[in-house]
Amino acid sequence: MRAKIILAMLLVVSVLSVYTQDSIKIVELENITVTGLSFKSASKRNSALPVDVVGKEFLKEHFTGNLIQTLEHTPGVRSMDIGSGFSKPMIRGMGFNRVSVTENGIKQEGQQWGSDHGLEIDAFNVELVIIRKGPSSLLYGSDAMGGTIEISQTPPPLDNQIFGDVALLEKTVNGTLGGSMALGIKKNAWYCKLRYSEQHFGDYRIPADTIVYLTQRMPVHDRRLKNTAGIERNFNFYTAYQKGRYLSNYALSNIYQKVGFFPGAHGIPDASRIQDDGDSRNIELPYSTVNHFKLTSHQQYAWDKLIGSWDVGYQNNHREEWSLFHTHYGMQLPPEDNPDKELEFNLNTYSSSLKVMIPKSYSCEYRGGWDVQYQQNQIDGYSFLLPKYNRFTIGMFGLLNWKMSKQLLLIGGLRYDYGRVDITQYKDPYLKEYLQSAGYDDNMIEKYEWRSYEVKRNFGDFSGSFGMVWNLKDQHLLKANIGNSFRLPGANELAANGVHHGTFRHEQGNPTLNSERGWQLDASYQHESKGMRMSLSPFINWFSNYIYLKPTGEWSVLPHTGQIYRYTENKAFFAGAELTFGVDLFARLDYSFAGEYVYTYNLDERTPLSFSPPPSMRNTLTWRKDELQFFVELHSIASQKRVAKNEDPTMGAHLINLGGNITLPIDKMMIEIGFSLQNLSDTKYYNHLSFYRKVEIPEPGRNLQLLIKIPFKNKLK
Amino acid sequence: MKTSVKFTVICLMAIFSLSFISCNPDDEGDTVKPVINLLEPAEGDILKIGDDHGVHFDMELSDNVMLKSYKVNIHSNFDGHKHARSHAHARSSEATVNFSFNKSWDVTGKNTSIHHHEIVIPENATPGNYHLMVYCTDAAGNESHIARNIVLSHEVEEHTH
Repeated sequence: MRAKIILAMLLVVSVLSVYTQDSIKIVELENITVTGLSFKSASKRNSALPVDVVGKEFLKEHFTGNLIQTLEHTPGVRSMDIGSGFSKPMIRGMGFNRVSVTENGIKQEGQQWGSDHGLEIDAFNVELVIIRKGPSSLLYGSDAMGGTIEISQTPPPLDNQIFGDVALLEKTVNGTLGGSMALGIKKNAWYCKLRYSEQHFGDYRIPADTIVYLTQRMPVHDRRLKNTAGIERNFNFYTAYQKGRYLSNYALSNIYQKVGFFPGAHGIPDASRIQDDGDSRNIELPYSTVNHFKLTSHQQYAWDKLIGSWDVGYQNNHREEWSLFHTHYGMQLPPEDNPDKELEFNLNTYSSSLKVMIPKSYSCEYRGGWDVQYQQNQIDGYSFLLPKYNRFTIGMFGLLNWKMSKQLLLIGGLRYDYGRVDITQYKDPYLKEYLQSAGYDDNMIEKYEWRSYEVKRNFGDFSGSFGMVWNLKDQHLLKANIGNSFRLPGANELAANGVHHGTFRHEQGNPTLNSERGWQLDASYQHESKGMRMSLSPFINWFSNYIYLKPTGEWSVLPHTGQIYRYTENKAFFAGAELTFGVDLFARLDYSFAGEYVYTYNLDERTPLSFSPPPSMRNTLTWRKDELQFFVELHSIASQKRVAKNEDPTMGAHLINLGGNITLPIDKMMIEIGFSLQNLSDTKYYNHLSFYRKVEIPEPGRNLQLLIKIPFKNKLK
Repeated sequence: MKTSVKFTVICLMAIFSLSFISCNPDDEGDTVKPVINLLEPAEGDILKIGDDHGVHFDMELSDNVMLKSYKVNIHSNFDGHKHARSHAHARSSEATVNFSFNKSWDVTGKNTSIHHHEIVIPENATPGNYHLMVYCTDAAGNESHIARNIVLSHEVEEHTH
């Protein structure tokens, strides 16, 4: 073990490399007048994994007020929705803690493990996103084995100016009214941006009058799903200073989200709780709130032969789930303060990373880095799910880019991670009384009254990857990568023990889990010629111990639950591919196809894994003329019949979407207007990955969306 | 140089295509849930408090492979989900006790009919609305459950449902 560590340290020290998180800045230093396009191709050519660069145009065309639903238009990325407002990402069938989202170089840390927890990012504030599909843990740490979503900043404008925009968003399906205002200044070395956004949405409309939940038919009044309204209130500040070889930036943001839960899906079906309350915009119990505060800084200096950078960040994710006090223990009295606060998680995350890069000396480029993260999770509420814990992780990596020839680039790297988790025990006094009154014997009571035991675990492991990029005649780009990745088990996987609402499941952690390990093979081929482009990216993953919730067949002693689901390690296999194809039909008309397929298999249970995204494809026709653009899209989602135990198959659907963008010059200002019509035929369909799928609630119906954006700028002398 | 480049590329691609072919998992495990057909008590049934004979419980279970176990849970549902506060109230009055029932039975085979009177509601049970839930698992861990709204009462006429 020690030899392994020394080896890793030697490698890192001798190579003294480092990867700067944001290749944009490197590009910038090398070449000030970098265009969006060249950055795009540069970042694609620098990685042996499939990379999608989502720029301003794409974000504008597919804007929904929800970043993940926008990114879903990239094949391989899927959105796991919680109602109509909030979502979390899934890449190639991996979600939750297997996908990392970073903003300004710091990994976003919330309660990603929860199926009804969304991502806390202001969609209005996103300018550039780099999506890496496949194992990225080498650069981004243990949770990035499925891929990363990297939210970055576009380079500041060259001229001194004051700029800003006002944007308005409206959606009919849930009565969204959203607005955002930004103001910025670029003055010599300084660049500052300030943005405030707010979104209010009401209960969303579904194309159904009833839903079937737990074999009972429940009415949906006015075709609106009661209490699914929500609000979002976001504040972002970003400032950058660049002088000569020094570059620094600071970002401060606070994201607040509040969303109601459909009360008919919270516990036992009960028609009295879903009666129309006459207000489609109120948020009653049960609901959740989350406040995400983030402060990050990036410092970078370019010496002649070395670029060094240092990132540091603090985040506080404060999540509360409120539900009218209820217990099935009989003896438990509501708490004095906040009697209806069911669960509270307060997570503080401190992160720091150092990165070094030695740019091309001959044909080699070295990168290396060191990052460290410390987390503290506090809990409160009358219910119990996840214990209080501290988590510390540290990682080191070295990466070598070797340009063998003009066409062939080889990339190899090694990383060592160490993690320590310290989980606090929790004894449930009410559970003991309940079990006594229910007549369980003393052995059982002693076993179950502890909702979580003290767990102190250390994890340490190597991960590595080797890949190549073969760039043939500019038209063909061929990539291949093999990676051995690993992931530290999350605190929920080690120590959760309780019922998460809506699921009826008693989810139980397993303190003896090992870190998850897997081999991941990726390939991709891209071809671009005049009037035609295509890409194909197949992948295969094999995990020796994939961690998932396994139904144990043991009845839980907790009231209102069936069997216990325990986090278990099994051999698992993933395979799939994304295919895109585009062709210019006529001068202004363009056809594009994007499809994806993911196959999952639990080799021990011989069943598929849960949350396997169904195959899907998008056929799009786009017509462009100057500042005018229209599209019509057929989005086909196949049925998902490959389900895990206790997961229901989901039928497929064909959805028709329309949309357009126009830029109107009015009085020196360029007003951008975007409209879209989603689910034109008001088709009733289900999203296999949605939180509400389990309770048979269909996806939102027909939606007309309007976005008006008025950008302005004023040159400064 | 050029040939070595090509050779490397071809080797790598060969490894990839081989691995794509070599992974072909075999037949699938059981993901089919057992089926619960609860005949009695029916939705909205009124059950008699203090009936020594016990609740007439009649159910058919079936599974495509092998049944494992079923569990019956009855708990109070006074005033929607606010009943925890009335629990506290009920406790202070000491007159009646909220009825709660929790028991599991093992079963085998693909089909089974269950008929028993093991659920006995004691004389001191608080009358009112209750939930009855039945959970059933098969040998592979597939689970289904159903929920019924029932009423516990001292006066019971013939079943109206």
